[in-house]
Amino acid sequence: MGENSQKNQLNGPIIVNSVVPKNRQELIKWNGWGYNDSKFVIKGGSEVYFSGRRYPIGEQRLPHIYGWVKDVFDVDLSTAVPKKFNDLPDEKAYPNLNVTPEILEKISHFNISFSTKVIDRVIRAHGQTLHEIYTLQNSVFPRIPDVVIWPTCHEDVVKIVNFCHENNIVIIPYGGGTAVSGAPECPPDEQRTIVSLDTSQMNRILWLDKENLVGCFESGIVGQDLERELKVLGFTTGHEPDSYEFSSLGGWIATRASGMKKNVYGNIEDLLVHVKMVTPRGTLEKSCQAPRLSCGPDFNHLVLGSEGSLGVITEVVLKIRPLPKCQKYGSIVFPSFEKGVEFMREVAKRRWQPASIRLMDNDQFKFALILKPESSYFAHALDAIKKFYVTTIKGFDPNRMCVMTLLFEADEKQVETNEKNLYDLCKTFGGFPAGETNGERGYMLTFVIAYIRDLGLQFEVVAESFETSCPWDRAVTLVRNVKHVVADECRLLGITRFLINCRVTQTYDAGCVIYFYLAFNHRNVGDPVRLHGRLETRAREEIVSSGGSVSHHHGVGKLRRKWYGSTVSEAGVGLYMAAKRQLDPKNIFATDNLVTQAKL
Amino acid sequence: MSIVREYDNFLELRKQETSNFLWISKKWNPQIAFKQGSTRPSPQYHKDAVLNSPKIQDLLEQISLKTNVPKVELEHQVKDILDEIGYEKKLKVIRWLGLILTKICLTVLSGIYVNVEQVEQIKNQMGNCPVIFVPTHRSYGDFIMMSYLSFQYDIEIPAIAAGMDFFGMWGMGTLLRDTGAFFMRRSYNDDSLYWTTFKQYIYQLVSKGDLPIEFFIEGTRSRSNKSLTPKYGLLTMVLKPFFFSQVPDIQFVPIGFSYDRILEESLFAFELLGVPKPKETTSGFFKSMKILKENFGNIYIHMDKPISAKEFFGSKLDRSVHNLTPLHKQEVTEDEKTLLPPLAYEILNRQQKVLVTTVFNLVSLVLNNNLAYETELLSMEELACDVKWIREILRSLGGFTHTTNIERSIDDCLKTHKNLVYLNRKGKLKLVRNPISQGEINHKKLKGHYLSDDTMTYSVPFVTLQIYINPILHYFIDIDIILVILDTRPMNEDELFESYCFLRCLFSREFITFAPKDKTAFNAAMNDAISLNLVNLNNGKYQLANNKKLGMLIVNTFYTFYVSFFATLLILERLPSVVDEKSILANVQKLLEDAIVDKHKEFIHPYSLNLDTLANCLNSLVDEKVLQKTRRDNVNAYEINKIKLKDVKDNFARYMTRCSIEERCQIINKIHLQNKL
Repeated sequence: MGENSQKNQLNGPIIVNSVVPKNRQELIKWNGWGYNDSKFVIKGGSEVYFSGRRYPIGEQRLPHIYGWVKDVFDVDLSTAVPKKFNDLPDEKAYPNLNVTPEILEKISHFNISFSTKVIDRVIRAHGQTLHEIYTLQNSVFPRIPDVVIWPTCHEDVVKIVNFCHENNIVIIPYGGGTAVSGAPECPPDEQRTIVSLDTSQMNRILWLDKENLVGCFESGIVGQDLERELKVLGFTTGHEPDSYEFSSLGGWIATRASGMKKNVYGNIEDLLVHVKMVTPRGTLEKSCQAPRLSCGPDFNHLVLGSEGSLGVITEVVLKIRPLPKCQKYGSIVFPSFEKGVEFMREVAKRRWQPASIRLMDNDQFKFALILKPESSYFAHALDAIKKFYVTTIKGFDPNRMCVMTLLFEADEKQVETNEKNLYDLCKTFGGFPAGETNGERGYMLTFVIAYIRDLGLQFEVVAESFETSCPWDRAVTLVRNVKHVVADECRLLGITRFLINCRVTQTYDAGCVIYFYLAFNHRNVGDPVRLHGRLETRAREEIVSSGGSVSHHHGVGKLRRKWYGSTVSEAGVGLYMAAKRQLDPKNIFATDNLVTQAKL
Repeated sequence: MSIVREYDNFLELRKQETSNFLWISKKWNPQIAFKQGSTRPSPQYHKDAVLNSPKIQDLLEQISLKTNVPKVELEHQVKDILDEIGYEKKLKVIRWLGLILTKICLTVLSGIYVNVEQVEQIKNQMGNCPVIFVPTHRSYGDFIMMSYLSFQYDIEIPAIAAGMDFFGMWGMGTLLRDTGAFFMRRSYNDDSLYWTTFKQYIYQLVSKGDLPIEFFIEGTRSRSNKSLTPKYGLLTMVLKPFFFSQVPDIQFVPIGFSYDRILEESLFAFELLGVPKPKETTSGFFKSMKILKENFGNIYIHMDKPISAKEFFGSKLDRSVHNLTPLHKQEVTEDEKTLLPPLAYEILNRQQKVLVTTVFNLVSLVLNNNLAYETELLSMEELACDVKWIREILRSLGGFTHTTNIERSIDDCLKTHKNLVYLNRKGKLKLVRNPISQGEINHKKLKGHYLSDDTMTYSVPFVTLQIYINPILHYFIDIDIILVILDTRPMNEDELFESYCFLRCLFSREFITFAPKDKTAFNAAMNDAISLNLVNLNNGKYQLANNKKLGMLIVNTFYTFYVSFFATLLILERLPSVVDEKSILANVQKLLEDAIVDKHKEFIHPYSLNLDTLANCLNSLVDEKVLQKTRRDNVNAYEINKIKLKDVKDNFARYMTRCSIEERCQIINKIHLQNKL
């Protein structure tokens, strides 16, 4: 599975053999993040490894983690007993099945694969928020889908949507399952039958148009399959969100996803040329594949960010690009976070951004060092660095300095010029280049960092990330305010061991994106989900008060619904609800995202 | 506020060490208020940042376009303004001043008492957001002591908002500036370049500075030793960065300074009576250095728990309203301004509550009552007995008196105040009366009536004594009002509360309160009055109870304020309906002076002459819309609503039946008055 599958297909759609099997749990953790074979493991008391060979740090000793976890979270990995989690749920765990035999009988006539097995239903009942993973590990969901159905093409979806509309059955579209907004969760009070519409088997590449540099893809294709198949043909979409190994094209559109390399390729809305969405009132689509239209409000933007509440995205025309000739990493260190942000602002002003430019704050910079697979003791490593910077480059405080990671993608010549420009400019801001390796490691960590939560959860440490976008002049103060409010709130809640750090992950002409990590030890403090909920709410309130947005790319879902109205205005909510009533009069896409059902 | 409080005398440490010099040259690595970036901001950095801020740059471009003055020239003007405003920080100066101050303190003070535990706690919490020290302001000593205290406890010396009048003192301005003072003009002209620059400077210090900031919420030194109504100008400027989410929070630290003896006591007495404040000159300062040969007892400093602006405003504040427009194009909104008064009053209330009561405050209260309203003079034993008695009562009302041995403290404070109180040959306590000769007085400089030398000689000691009573009056004012009302007749709670509201509103500036019609304050006072056996309930009506001694003391103590208010109302009734402020004040003072001189009729307390109280009365009447204030050519004038005034006066007169001043009430002819001037 997962190898290039284009050998025998000369014409017609490319059938993609997905890395992710239909029974997702065979490859992917059912109660955590990522591949089953990839995780942080403790061997022989206090040695931490990252298992598997999928990532560069795989099967290597990570000697600094032990001391760091002790220092930051007061957890002694050598003596702490890992928590026992729920077993894979079976039929006993979820005895209720809210579907009549008649309906099941009718569904079976469609000749579309479906299942009512608890394991299939539970796996598609959630995304990846702390609350969802914690529930999987420790308790049960109040409501899960009753039927999982796997359409394989647009027509299948039309049949299912029409059928559900006629029979007043709820549909919750399901793509890669990586949402961090609570979007795929079933509303607990939903009385109707809920069908989880899993798009994973609808993942063909329908056609490529090399002349116009566009391709037509089915919405269930996941990022790594898409890129692998395109690569063979010499192309890329350039869309690389951190979740791209598992997240799906349909999901990207439904949440308005953003890719790491958007500076070169654009965000999902920039890549999107055409999209089909199946609704109870028919398929929303356009008549042509023109690059831009002046024809009333652009309904692509009604589909983008619809979060499964208006219909099912089936077929998508995306821009594609020839593979870059040169790809190169880089990094720059700055004496302080503020200086780094000033530099980024200047880079954005000049529109000198490479494919990706990110700035880690001091805490993340230190954290990156923790994941260094080296044999020397952590303090040793930090001391060496300290010495190096303090003696060699005067004035760098190891407790303030920051590192910026860069990724260049272009022609060799362009990359060279870009590099030179940036490395020259950074000196004005007290920075200096710190090599390719540091940059590459930074990006690798992006993928690995998602796994570390599963380690923490075994030892009463919970973690979550959240993001925002804000104008340039608010960035530094927003970060400072959020950190302050989290620290304050932790103190109030009695949380003594916590971590709050951030990085600036994207730049725009008019602002930037900030990504926060929050983790804390909840031993003897209380229900971690409730505590975290409160912390994240307070942090989001502070973000909004400090000029930030409700979300840059994670979406609203159920988690950030509270801020939807104030973000888009009352008239905006009315407009959304009018669209909702028009496209889905019975509210069969009762996802409860963006606006609560009570208001619909 | 818990009654158990701990204070350490840090002067003791200075006394014991072999070398003050060693202490003053200690390694200086203070706790800062708000950590910034990788390097600490310098005074010059702040000035440059203000000049280059979009706010100032935009303004300069506009002015330049309008007036054709080149922008560079305007930038020079701003730089000059910033040099006039901006603080400096010279550690050497701080250390030398510290050494001199130590020597002075060791000579003239017995102790400087500080609630160290809280200070240490505040210090430990500093670092993450701006910290604003908001001390009471009743002496120049306040900000000197605040900086001295900061040095003692390794807290960064605050940037202090000082009035430009200080700058007039030769050399002093520079000294203060070098130790962290920044200067604010007092005149309220519409020099928009100056004020925009000043506001931006504060914005810069709060949002990008790392020093604590210190300012006086009352805007000026209180001459009466009582809290004044808050001013909102600086408070608004300080809060702006928080409203704009440029800082995560702001911590306000209310601080109470109390002095056994105030450096400026006689100056204040004169000023209260209307002799204009002499310009602050350095020679004046050196004169005041002379009195440093005397003994000033102790200074008590209490730092209260910080008030977090964020917590205080809570959900009433929506900072996201500033999200859609560039910040430098915005100002504090009207909604935000409405949030300020509760905060300002909370700070003032906390200041009052934490202020340490000195034994001399109690002595003054007892002595004043004796001298004014009793026939037999007090002996030391009687004084001690009454002071102990009143101390217990004050304690029950939440006041804290600092003493370990009350007899010794009385002895000490009488020594400290030997210029004011003495024991006569019969062993009875009397006020020292030094003949006052005013010499040539420029009548134009008088704010009110020209008081005769005799009146001044007689009044100054009483007024000085009253200065030491004033800081504890807030414990009693609500009870006093209840007693005064019930003295007319017994009544039920609703009637009582209605009358209470009337008087409390009228006195809301004299004895500051944010919510004069607040039932909780009334209820608390009722509970106190009942438990002190001042009031009881009989057949559903409240009446005066048996504790006549305390009742008399309270009512007597406040009577002078009633007299001032009554005299003002009487005069206003007789004046034409548009009148300038000076005519009012002069007439009221004249009326009262005559009454004071005529001692056989009734004792009128000389403190009733004080202009502070008269001005408070006028301002309260403005609040109540009885008067309308206008300002023309730097002269305050009032338009009187005679109908409303009559209502207020008749209502007030019900509590003034014993008072005889109405009989003698005449207006000085306006022409006559002008001739006199």
